[in-house]
Amino acid sequence: MLNMNNISRIYRSDTIQTHALRDFSLDVKAGEFVAVTGPSGSGKSTFLNVAGLLDGFDQGSYELDGVNIQGLNDDELSRLRNEKIGFIFQNYNLIPDFNLFDNIDMPLRYRGFNAAERKRRIANALEQVGLASRANYLPSQLSGGQQQRVAIARALAGEPKILLADEPTGNLDSLMARQVMELLHTLNEAGSTIIMVTHDPEQARSVGRNVQVIDGQITDHSVYAPEKNNAPIEVNA
Amino acid sequence: MEMFNYYLKLSVRNLKRNRLFFILMISTLAVGVGVFLANIAIIKSMANDPIPHKSDRIFNVTLNIWPNENPSARLRETMRYDDAMHILKNEIATNTLVHYQSKVYTRDINSDNLSRYPAVVRATTPDFFPMMDAPFAFGGAWTEDHAKQVVIGDSLNQQVFNGGDSVGKTIEIDGKSFEVVGVLKPWVVKPMFYHVTGTQAFDISDDIFAPIETAMDSEWAINVQSSQTEQIDSVSDNRGKNGFFIQAFVQLDTPHQKLAMQQYLDNYSQHRKEQGDFLRANDNRLLDVNQWLEHHNVVDERMLAFAIATSLFLAVCIFNASSLLLARYHSARFETGLRRAIGARIKDIFYQGLVESMIIGLCCAALALVFGWLFLKISMTLFPKLQYTSDIDASLIIFGVIIALTTSFISMIYPLIRSCQTSLSTTLK
Repeated sequence: MLNMNNISRIYRSDTIQTHALRDFSLDVKAGEFVAVTGPSGSGKSTFLNVAGLLDGFDQGSYELDGVNIQGLNDDELSRLRNEKIGFIFQNYNLIPDFNLFDNIDMPLRYRGFNAAERKRRIANALEQVGLASRANYLPSQLSGGQQQRVAIARALAGEPKILLADEPTGNLDSLMARQVMELLHTLNEAGSTIIMVTHDPEQARSVGRNVQVIDGQITDHSVYAPEKNNAPIEVNA
Repeated sequence: MEMFNYYLKLSVRNLKRNRLFFILMISTLAVGVGVFLANIAIIKSMANDPIPHKSDRIFNVTLNIWPNENPSARLRETMRYDDAMHILKNEIATNTLVHYQSKVYTRDINSDNLSRYPAVVRATTPDFFPMMDAPFAFGGAWTEDHAKQVVIGDSLNQQVFNGGDSVGKTIEIDGKSFEVVGVLKPWVVKPMFYHVTGTQAFDISDDIFAPIETAMDSEWAINVQSSQTEQIDSVSDNRGKNGFFIQAFVQLDTPHQKLAMQQYLDNYSQHRKEQGDFLRANDNRLLDVNQWLEHHNVVDERMLAFAIATSLFLAVCIFNASSLLLARYHSARFETGLRRAIGARIKDIFYQGLVESMIIGLCCAALALVFGWLFLKISMTLFPKLQYTSDIDASLIIFGVIIALTTSFISMIYPLIRSCQTSLSTTLK
């Protein structure tokens, strides 16, 4: 599904070069739920931006669902983002004066679906996150957890190949965070491939695979039992 | 079409959400476009071809006459009665007219109201009407050179006779009675090319058209810049003397006619020279309508300078609007980034910006036309001569809409480019 080989991402200013990612390699299979952890500034967000085609890279190769990313133009990258990737942001990134329907409608518009198809997908997505009755609500009328579920619905509506979540529970209290995590697990069990950046070790342990990033490189690669018993069964350094 | 409607909906939402901002921006552009439009309206009326279908076939006749040899003296635009009569006798031109302008007071001779109305008289010859395409509502021109008959314009007809068919009625001019033989429809010549000397190019059309011989017989004062080199006691005394006050125009429909007319004028000059007259070199000119207007600098150079100033002002308005939009797009970069992240192409963002600029442009156009009209009215106080000729007509309205749309689009380009250059990852973090 996602295959990165020796990816390097260097940020340059007049005097400083920062290696945000160096020789970063990761292979994520379809249906996997991968947690990416690491301290602040370790490069995990850069990885997610590169994986989500929000940022480019300087060296290496990257294939997403069999498509080689290198050399694609803006139209092609935008189409890939629209069709294959669903984003879940830490701060939800909902447009405040759009109701839930219109927020979820946005990516579907750019996909070129007709009105009936968009309506069907939006209804399904809201159903999946348990907000079917609130399509006409504004984001401000919802709790933080509900807003994040709307963001998940927006990501799901396009039926993407992979969900990229950047600290999806970072702005939520523990109860809401647990609800969102349960939703992500449910989606994963239903077949969605998910990569989630998180600071929370407990959340990381609750998913099938944990990738630790330090200084732009993968330093720890743990695979946990699907029963979420928090006991590592295999470790690849 | 579905995406266009979507962009339209987003744009209207943006306009509503940032109402004050867009009012400021639209007003900024509208002031610039309005001032520019008013200026163009004035220049357009000044540079207007007054008789486009035959402006290249109507020629002013200028003779290089003056009874001394001063070489620095400019070309004379008026001629003597005798010269005019010789030109009138030509059998070359399709139409020939000579004229001078006078001003009189007039009233309906049968009216109980003794008030007299001031009226501008064009003392001329019958060919004036077909050459100028002056449209008759009733009647026609006089047929006798010394006839006590006149043709009146629509405005005077309304004033004196309350409109209608006034042919056969009698008006009093300076104590004498004249029969009305023709009434013109409303008629404006912009600019009044047959009388551009002095500052009269933008006067309203004449009120009374009378035979030139009758006007001179009646001693109707010469209301043009005239000269004389000998004692002339009255208007009618100009016959056979060196009084310069008449202008002549000929309609020459073919190059052959023009060549023949030029020869006719040169022969006349030569003949007069041999008689001891026409002491200056032969320099008889036939200038067509547009050459004649250009010769007289009818387009005021101040207006051309003003046009440059208004163009620069418009550029400043575009720059200001663009700066405002840049700030707006900067504050909206999150939404742009989000749209890009979830699949909008750069061209989608541009299309949306284009639709937004179209709506802004249309609002700006509506406001600019109002401003343009207001600025035009204000300009009329500076150039009162133009008040009957300058207007924002249909072609200028279309031009204004195009300019407003263009300026709106130009204002939008740079902010759009900047908003698309923003790093998605930074914007969304």
